[in-house]
Amino acid sequence: MALLTLENVSVAYDNQYILKDFNLNIEKGQLISLLGPSGCGKTTTLRLIAGFLEAKDGRFLFDGKDYTRVPVNKRNFGFVFQSYALFPHMSVFDNVAFGLRLRKVSETEVKQRVEQILDVVSLGGFEKRFPKELSGGQRQRVAIARALVIQPDLLLFDEPLSNLDANLRVNMRVEIRRIQQELGITTVYVSHDQEECFSISDRVAIMNKGVIEQLDDPATIFKYPKTEFIARFIGFNNFITFGERTEQDGEIELRVGGHRFAATHNPGTANANAKKCAMRPDDLIVTTEAQADHETNRLPGTVKISTFLGRSYQYVVETDLGDFTVNQEMETPYKSGQTVHLLFPKDKMVLVD
Amino acid sequence: MKNKGMYLLLLPGVLFLTLFLVIPIVMTIASTFYQEGSFTVQGYFTFLTDPYNLKILWTTLRVSLVTTIVCILLGFPAAYYISKLGARKKGILLALAIFPLLTSSVVRSFSWMIILGKKGLLNSSLLSIGLIEKPLEILYTPTAMMIGLIHLFLPLIIITLVGVMENIDPDLLKAAESLGASRFTAFRQVILPLSMPGLIIGSILVFVGSLTAYTTPALLGGKQGVISTFLYQNAITLNDWHMASVIATIMIVITFVVIGLMNKIATKLNPKG
Repeated sequence: MALLTLENVSVAYDNQYILKDFNLNIEKGQLISLLGPSGCGKTTTLRLIAGFLEAKDGRFLFDGKDYTRVPVNKRNFGFVFQSYALFPHMSVFDNVAFGLRLRKVSETEVKQRVEQILDVVSLGGFEKRFPKELSGGQRQRVAIARALVIQPDLLLFDEPLSNLDANLRVNMRVEIRRIQQELGITTVYVSHDQEECFSISDRVAIMNKGVIEQLDDPATIFKYPKTEFIARFIGFNNFITFGERTEQDGEIELRVGGHRFAATHNPGTANANAKKCAMRPDDLIVTTEAQADHETNRLPGTVKISTFLGRSYQYVVETDLGDFTVNQEMETPYKSGQTVHLLFPKDKMVLVD
Repeated sequence: MKNKGMYLLLLPGVLFLTLFLVIPIVMTIASTFYQEGSFTVQGYFTFLTDPYNLKILWTTLRVSLVTTIVCILLGFPAAYYISKLGARKKGILLALAIFPLLTSSVVRSFSWMIILGKKGLLNSSLLSIGLIEKPLEILYTPTAMMIGLIHLFLPLIIITLVGVMENIDPDLLKAAESLGASRFTAFRQVILPLSMPGLIIGSILVFVGSLTAYTTPALLGGKQGVISTFLYQNAITLNDWHMASVIATIMIVITFVVIGLMNKIATKLNPKG
């Protein structure tokens, strides 16, 4: 059974629904990310779980108990804010000890547990500093320590790395993953940065307009996006919408405007009658060779734009099915205006809704 | 500051204040220790040994203290509410809050006389609904002074508090709650200490303002004197400028003591504020 369940939850501001009949299950010990563009409802979901927002309808179950009406301060969830939200008038020690003192833990134990958790986030010796005297990364780690020291039943992160510079962000996300796995603590992580989510999560939920479009492990989403929205979000920017679809011996044939394409069955999750294909720019091939290749689908076209990307060239190829973007390494690049053939490897054609 | 020349920008202000504020104050204070050409503390001795004077001093301190406390109690929640509002509503409410400061204190005090008088609005309403049997004696008492002063100074504490409170990250309250604090605990341990700078400045403004106010106590206090009206009486009516200077010096000392005390409280409650 799932540790955390959101059941047909709705959240609305001024009769404008942010979430409607929203469902989510999270297993114990997992780190799950909510990923999506701003306004998709990911932060709302997180704040709902934390208890900062109240659901209009639906239920929130945690460990088999109904948490829908349990107030924030009785939930025992650790929350790490984007702004860190450290108490500026308290030292690092007092910030971390805050939750423990509210739990009436003896001062000897407070001291011991605070020091122990500061060691976990590599901040031993910083007890007497004030938040103002710390760098962004150190503040972030104090915030994590403060959330962890209360031994929360659930850890919640709201875009925790977005205020840090690029290098630190990579270090911190490794650190977060390490701590999460070391303590085996169930975690919900919100971000709009897909690399960040994919690198640290057991599962990623991609959200759009208040709905989870796909919830899978990162590798599956990366290879087999379920919908066009997700495909676009993770870098598939070539699409073909076909008119007809037939299936034979596990091989799918797709037709549009006199063109016939073959696609292999992928373990993707799109509907059985999906007629749209998504392709990454890295997976298409531009060639001038005229010889027929039965294994791949081909489409004649003209190079419209050729751009040097450093390691490869990017071409925009114009065909009668629209423009396609291709990234390809080449010694001698194709020129604008050149007549070429576009090859579509059939195992790289991902069917999406 | 890198450029020493920048200090020159302060010069006009410093010159003005030295000439018209610092020198006169120093001269006033110095004059209290000289009488007929020789050093003396007789003025202070006379003032502080007369029970009548001490009573006036005590009334003044009491009125100022109560005014300050009531202003804090009324202003704090109001300021907290205003600080949470959007820019538009905040502007409107702040403008409304400042209104009392924009009316002349004479007009304002006369309005209170109409309301608080023996046959005033308050007494006639209370009499007509039968809550009291004979008119309350409010006008020309310390209570009337306090009402007038609270009306006058409430805006000061609201403005200073809103200024500080709107800079408190609202996530701090959420963070405290997520760590297990009730609303009240979160407020007491986070919002209150972080509001302290505004509270201290506001309280100093109100206390010193009440201590030195003249028009409001003169009109609403009647025969009941406070130190500022007493000072005026000594200077203008009795033409005793020496005693008036002594009183002025005592007011200055009280002001500094109060500011010092408040700052001490502030550092205790919010060491890094």
